[in-house]
Amino acid sequence: MKKFLLGVLMYVVFIILYFFQADFFNWFTIAGISPNIFIIFILFLGLFTNSLFSIVIALLAGITLDLVIGRTLGVTAFMFCLISIIAGYFDKNFSKESKLTIIIMVICMTIIYELVNYMMNVLVLDIPFEFAAFSKILAIEVLYNAILTLIFYKLILKFGYILEKQFKQKNILTRYF
Amino acid sequence: MYKSKHSGTLGTVITIIILILLVILTNVNRDNLSYAEGFATSILMPIQNAFTMLKNRVTGNSQFFADLDSLKAENEQLKQRNNELETQLRELEVIKAENATLQEYANLTEKYQDYSTVAAYVIDKDVSNYSSNIIINVGSDQGIEKDMTVIADKGLVGHVISVTNNTAKVQVIVDSASSVAAMISTSDESIICKGSVENDKYLNASYIDTSSELLVGDSVVTSGIGGIYPKGITIGTIKQVINTTNITDRYAIVETAVDFSKLYTVLVIK
Repeated sequence: MKKFLLGVLMYVVFIILYFFQADFFNWFTIAGISPNIFIIFILFLGLFTNSLFSIVIALLAGITLDLVIGRTLGVTAFMFCLISIIAGYFDKNFSKESKLTIIIMVICMTIIYELVNYMMNVLVLDIPFEFAAFSKILAIEVLYNAILTLIFYKLILKFGYILEKQFKQKNILTRYF
Repeated sequence: MYKSKHSGTLGTVITIIILILLVILTNVNRDNLSYAEGFATSILMPIQNAFTMLKNRVTGNSQFFADLDSLKAENEQLKQRNNELETQLRELEVIKAENATLQEYANLTEKYQDYSTVAAYVIDKDVSNYSSNIIINVGSDQGIEKDMTVIADKGLVGHVISVTNNTAKVQVIVDSASSVAAMISTSDESIICKGSVENDKYLNASYIDTSSELLVGDSVVTSGIGGIYPKGITIGTIKQVINTTNITDRYAIVETAVDFSKLYTVLVIK
């Protein structure tokens, strides 16, 4: 029950982030490019909650985005699930205490997400692959996401550990002893 | 009285030195003295203020303080009045904006009176950097169907790609997945206008006939081929013609008539 309520809460957070992305970051851009705060959010869930929980939220968030604005149903959902799984792997193998590690994770996830997403759209919708334009947009987006992570690192870590307590209390003990 | 000749000369010299010092001190940049000035002010001004207040009370200028309460009350009244006026101003601004929107609708409907249209607001834009689709606030309940053409006051916006009861998703012509059959209005030469991932102002016009002569400034309109867009809707104007070594590969940049960054109201052609 507690986890279900947490799930509802995380979905509400996702909805709030959607409005931020659609309304605020649509205007607050670097050279006309917005960040992708959903990637940071899904990575955050993957790092601080258990894999099943994060995958379910990632799936719901992805389907919501695909339904609301996407052109192909399932692509975003699939990519969010992939991020969630990779984040779980990161959690087991890397320390979240390092700011640099988290930023590198965000950079990697942004590149993987946008590259696969774009390539899938190129294949499914038969769009010409514009490498130069895509690279330019991706570079700015990666930079923007990294800056946002740097700014909100402490906040992410603070809420992350609160969330982690609900999921990994037993695991933390076994991990260190 | 005895007066020493030397003391008179000494007094003159001292006076000259003091004068020179005064001239120098009063002509140097005052910024250099700001620390000293600040220090002196902080010591002297509180005392000076106390003296001034005392003086005012003694000389009857203390009426100012007696009126302070009434001034405060007056100030409150003025603030309240100011708030009321600001509220009225906001209301007027809202009415003005509504009027502008209605005017825009009226102009649009008049311009495209040959078509049966439904007016709509743009309520959302794609959150991705790689596509530019929009969502409008009319759907199947208002008679909107897939593949209907969407226009704005200056020209073509795109077409409906999916519909819910009260919203419709529109693929705009600048989206990277968009492709519009078009023609040059002056010469009737057929071209294909494609969107790109990079910007929302220009289209790439390709499949240009080798014999056709495109000129910068030529107007580009829909050709009606493809079955989605009606013929003759303005797309934009030729901004630049890019010639390549192989003439069949040449293409043109078309500047869209519609400013997609400021797209708020549209019409859906039924």
